[in-house]
Amino acid sequence: MTVAPYPDRVRRFVRRYSMPYLFIAVPVLSIIVFLFIPMIASFWWSLNDFSGIQAATFVGLKNYIQLFTADPIFIKTLLNTTLFVLMGMGIGPSLGMLTALLLNQKVRFQSVFRTAYYLPVMTSLVVVSTIWVMLYNQNGLLNSLVTGLGFTKVGWLSDPRVALVSVALASVWQGFGFETVIFLAAMQSIPRELYEAAMMDGANPSQRFWYITLPSLRHVIVFVYIYGIIGSYQVFDQVYVMTRGGPVYSTSTIVHYLFTKFMDLRLGYASAIAYVLFAILVIFSFIQWRFFTEKN
Amino acid sequence: MLTRRTSPKKYFNRGLLYLLLVVSSLLMIIPFYWSVGTSLKLERFVFASPPQWWPAPFSLESYINILTRIPFLNYFANSVFVAVATTLGHVFFDTLAAYAFAKLKFPGRDKIFFLFLIVLMVPSQVNLIPVYRIMNSLHWTDTYLALIVPNLTSVFGIFMMRQFMMSIPGELLDSGRIDGCTEFQVFHKIALPLAIPGIATLVILTFMDRWNDFLWPRIVLNSEKLFTLPVGLAQLQMKNTSNEAQIMAGTVLTALPMIIVFLFMQRQFIEGMTAGALKE
Repeated sequence: MTVAPYPDRVRRFVRRYSMPYLFIAVPVLSIIVFLFIPMIASFWWSLNDFSGIQAATFVGLKNYIQLFTADPIFIKTLLNTTLFVLMGMGIGPSLGMLTALLLNQKVRFQSVFRTAYYLPVMTSLVVVSTIWVMLYNQNGLLNSLVTGLGFTKVGWLSDPRVALVSVALASVWQGFGFETVIFLAAMQSIPRELYEAAMMDGANPSQRFWYITLPSLRHVIVFVYIYGIIGSYQVFDQVYVMTRGGPVYSTSTIVHYLFTKFMDLRLGYASAIAYVLFAILVIFSFIQWRFFTEKN
Repeated sequence: MLTRRTSPKKYFNRGLLYLLLVVSSLLMIIPFYWSVGTSLKLERFVFASPPQWWPAPFSLESYINILTRIPFLNYFANSVFVAVATTLGHVFFDTLAAYAFAKLKFPGRDKIFFLFLIVLMVPSQVNLIPVYRIMNSLHWTDTYLALIVPNLTSVFGIFMMRQFMMSIPGELLDSGRIDGCTEFQVFHKIALPLAIPGIATLVILTFMDRWNDFLWPRIVLNSEKLFTLPVGLAQLQMKNTSNEAQIMAGTVLTALPMIIVFLFMQRQFIEGMTAGALKE
């Protein structure tokens, strides 16, 4: 086969492929401008002293070193966020599993109960947090319950020892319905025959759960934890609305701290915080990514 | 199933099941009920002891107060506008790109798609400050453009729609091409209608995501008249001039539109949410 003259080859290439390239043009452009370039820019800034007003000065790893050796608030922030994730992941998915198991019985009004669990998931975190600020008020509903039971009032959001737990509980309340719905849908797709065969063999309900339900759900369970860990490490809205990181940094989280540094125009430092978050999440993101792409 | 006789133990178990369901559902509903109730109370009864389970007297004062004092209807209109515009962008650009990635052949296709997927691993906070700087240099901060333009398309949306597009048989598209359709017509007339279930999911996920977004609009907006509902509500809550009944009136107004839409389209919402996790 003879090779066509160059202009012809170009023309043919354009005629054949201009459409597909046109179809992906906007996303490609958008991803380059709003994702690739920013990713590189913020990595570069993380190696700089940069206020956004004056020109950046290269300082190497100084921001990172400062974060880990000279910024006890950041260390506190890391700990808080990790505790928040542990509390959320300790309770949320289990609660989701439990409620999904309840709903998976032959239950009347199943969809009504499901709606109740799911309603907060639909609602913005700002709304949910605002509601919980009221419930957690010194004279609010929860404290009337507590005093009604004969205990002294709890400073849900004002006591540094309690505040993080309160924020985490409100977050679990908001989010576990997502897990309920996911687990329920997955349970309903388990073939009935598996259960019937097990019942023939005389398996009791708890055996059926341990040997059929749980193994069938293992992919979904991994998904829920990975997705949950990634999401929880990025917690911001609840903290912003409920406590603004206080009292005395007891609820300050990574993204909230990043936000405050951004507001203080310490853009280099804030970028370093973003990259620390990225580093923490990279393993989980990679597992999630494998999930995504293996079906591909 | 052979014996219809129900044993006492079975009765007990059923009873326990419903008890757990009802109690847990109440725990989910009470905070919402309490917020609506509080919004209808007079300020001095908000933290009454013992708690007032039914607003007495019943008052719309807080609603009137915030609707006249704060541009809440503006927030609502802004939220609707931004969420609709970005969702339309997603529907068009994500499905079109997904179609190209799933059904067309062109040099570099798989490499580009792979690069797209890599981006999925990066948390959005990494891009926050640079994108803010870009918006700033374009003088787009404190305009709708900052909320809309960076959010017209997403890798996740393209990925999800690509899964749907893959299931469309190639022969169907070829028959369109033989009939003389342009590639865009093949997409528009044949592929798009077949991908409608996927688009419904995309619409729901995108709309919800944009409607509830907080950090980004909080950062790029300064003028009160441009606030979206979450930003407006957060500011209302922060102001020390607002009392709890007013804050709750704002909360109810913010939450209500989405809850109404959800109650009407519950099945689609739940299918949409599970699609992301369970698609196999």
